[in-house]
Amino acid sequence: MINFIQFTLTRFFLAIITLLIVCFIVFSLMELVPGTCAERYLAFKNTQGSQITYEDIEAEKVRLGLDKPFLYRYGKWVTDIAFKGEFGNSCILRMNINELLSGRFSLSLIISITALLLSYLIAIPVGIISATTKYKVVDESLKFISYLGIALPNFLVALCIMLFMTYFYGDTMTGLFSEEFENVPWSADRVKDFLSRAWLPIFVLGWNATAFALQTVRALMLDENDKLYVMAARARGISGMSLLWRYPAKHSLGPVINSIGFDLNRIFSALPIVALILILTEAGALLIEALARSNDQQLAGAIIFLLTATIVFVNFITDLILAIMDPRVRKGVMGGS
Amino acid sequence: MEANIEKKTQITSKTKEAYFTATQTQLVKTRFFKNKSAMIAGSVLIFLIFLGLFSDFLSPYDPTIAGRDKQYENGAPQIPKFWDENGFSFRPFLYTQTKFRSAETNFRWVYKEDREKRRYVHFFVKGWEYRVFDFSINLPGNALDFKVPGFKMNRHLFGMDKGGIHLFGTDKAGKDIFGRTLAAIYISLAVGTLGVFISFVLSLIIGGISGYYGGWIDGVLQMFTDAVRTVPPIPLFMCLAAFAPLEWSSELRFFFISCLLGLINWPTLARRVRTHLLAERSQEYVLAAQLCGASSSHIIGRHLLPSFTSYIIVDLVISFPYMLLAETALSFIGLGLREPVNSLGVLLQNATAADVLLNYQWYFIPVIFLVVLILSFVFVGDGLRDAADPHKITNK
Repeated sequence: MINFIQFTLTRFFLAIITLLIVCFIVFSLMELVPGTCAERYLAFKNTQGSQITYEDIEAEKVRLGLDKPFLYRYGKWVTDIAFKGEFGNSCILRMNINELLSGRFSLSLIISITALLLSYLIAIPVGIISATTKYKVVDESLKFISYLGIALPNFLVALCIMLFMTYFYGDTMTGLFSEEFENVPWSADRVKDFLSRAWLPIFVLGWNATAFALQTVRALMLDENDKLYVMAARARGISGMSLLWRYPAKHSLGPVINSIGFDLNRIFSALPIVALILILTEAGALLIEALARSNDQQLAGAIIFLLTATIVFVNFITDLILAIMDPRVRKGVMGGS
Repeated sequence: MEANIEKKTQITSKTKEAYFTATQTQLVKTRFFKNKSAMIAGSVLIFLIFLGLFSDFLSPYDPTIAGRDKQYENGAPQIPKFWDENGFSFRPFLYTQTKFRSAETNFRWVYKEDREKRRYVHFFVKGWEYRVFDFSINLPGNALDFKVPGFKMNRHLFGMDKGGIHLFGTDKAGKDIFGRTLAAIYISLAVGTLGVFISFVLSLIIGGISGYYGGWIDGVLQMFTDAVRTVPPIPLFMCLAAFAPLEWSSELRFFFISCLLGLINWPTLARRVRTHLLAERSQEYVLAAQLCGASSSHIIGRHLLPSFTSYIIVDLVISFPYMLLAETALSFIGLGLREPVNSLGVLLQNATAADVLLNYQWYFIPVIFLVVLILSFVFVGDGLRDAADPHKITNK
């Protein structure tokens, strides 16, 4: 048990370091953008008609703390996030980023994680069938579909479905809510409305992830199926589904759990573009807007940080689950015989 | 009967001998050639690369705005015919089309064909001028500029005696979609190649250092690599691509985007290089070479590098479609390449307008090329991986 706590602490420590490195990358990117927040803010004021002098810019810089060295500001940014959960203000929209993101980010999470679950629900059984089927045609066609899942990018699928809907139903099916529920607090009706619309982004986001997960499961099952312990089990007279679930499937589950973090990474990666096409009102769409339209690095940095932090968290959890579930890993972690 | 069996065992022993004495490249080749889907995908891929490389020769019109056809904007694909009710012709022909609009057509320009007036397709015609074997690097500053002028040509595979031929139709400016698609294949492949090359060099350096030294250097580098890997790539791409000022020239932009693709894709490759190096470093044949007194440069050059070049090549091919997809995604949202450069992403962006689906479906033709290109890359990469995998030795 002590070993397990030690393991958890090490993993936690590693996750924190990863987050710090990510923070550093994101923060450096924010800093590299030409023009500081103060200059932009005053440039905006200038367009409103007020005269701006050089001294005004300097004063604004002092007010925003931009006169301090890079490392100090990095430290402040990190500690603000870590202890206060504050991302500061967006200097283009002049709004608190937390306020902007509250609600939107959780929507992104709901959609992405549902897509992830759905893709695993489909990929695990289908991957097992693909690896163990006697009929080559089934395997080959499933393989082809999974390749298509890679070759057809999510946004293309989204586009095709949307255009198809427009063509045949006259409704674009875009957005996460219909008009009357767009800006009202959560209620049973709103949830219903959300579900009736959210299946499309969930399907589109899950599309690529399913293809990847399918290939992982298939490759693992093929690998395990040839191993001696499976042959031994077969020789003992175990066959069919019970053999599959008890031996190879159980063993290939470990790497599958391990890949959850990377699949979530893929889904997050596709999220902004899908959100742009399907006009979803969540964090991904906001990210594109911040980058492509308004060049709002504070907001973009916050969103990228949140996405990455989610992945780091998921990786941490899957590591723990693996340590508890898989006896091989458990032995390594807990020590002893 | 017995002689027959003997013959058979002789044959099998011969194939076995051939198998055991074959070099690694030969083994990989035989295994790859046996993979039917990979072979089909490979030929499709070679065909597409060929289309891209000779796009100037193959397309009758300049794919930029200079080659626009003012008489045929938003025009439907024109497929040459050999035969109609007026008789057969050995030379493929098109009909003359005239543009008109009226209240009947909702004041949209519509093309009417005159079946009596045939226009004929000619081969190896003179057309717009292009350069062959030219190569130039034009970055800000003069130090890195590099120019091979090549030579001028104006022959094209096919063209018309009068009027235009647009196999895939034209877009709203009258640019030939056929020519644009071919040019886009070339540009997208070039971006991908440059990106793969940059990520290859980076991963060789970082993965090489990490795998060769091991120890704490390896630990720190791996931690950094893992951290980069956890950031979702496309948002990070977008964040970096947003740096490119709007006033940059299209060449500079092209170079910048390729660098980005390379910069972001290296962690996966670097990890593989490191794993290969770590695994191979402790192999017995390396130890044997060391005991024979071989220098470390000899060991790296003669033993270590050849032992995993095939895997590295496979990894590069596998990472290629992701480069293409990333380029497409970036260009699609307007942060990657932009017009007047033709890339598959730029063409895809043109196909998103709502009236395109209702009226001008031929805008989608480049999308088919994109999907086929990526699919063939994925299949070839997969076939190569299977062929290069030493654990997948099939029983002979």
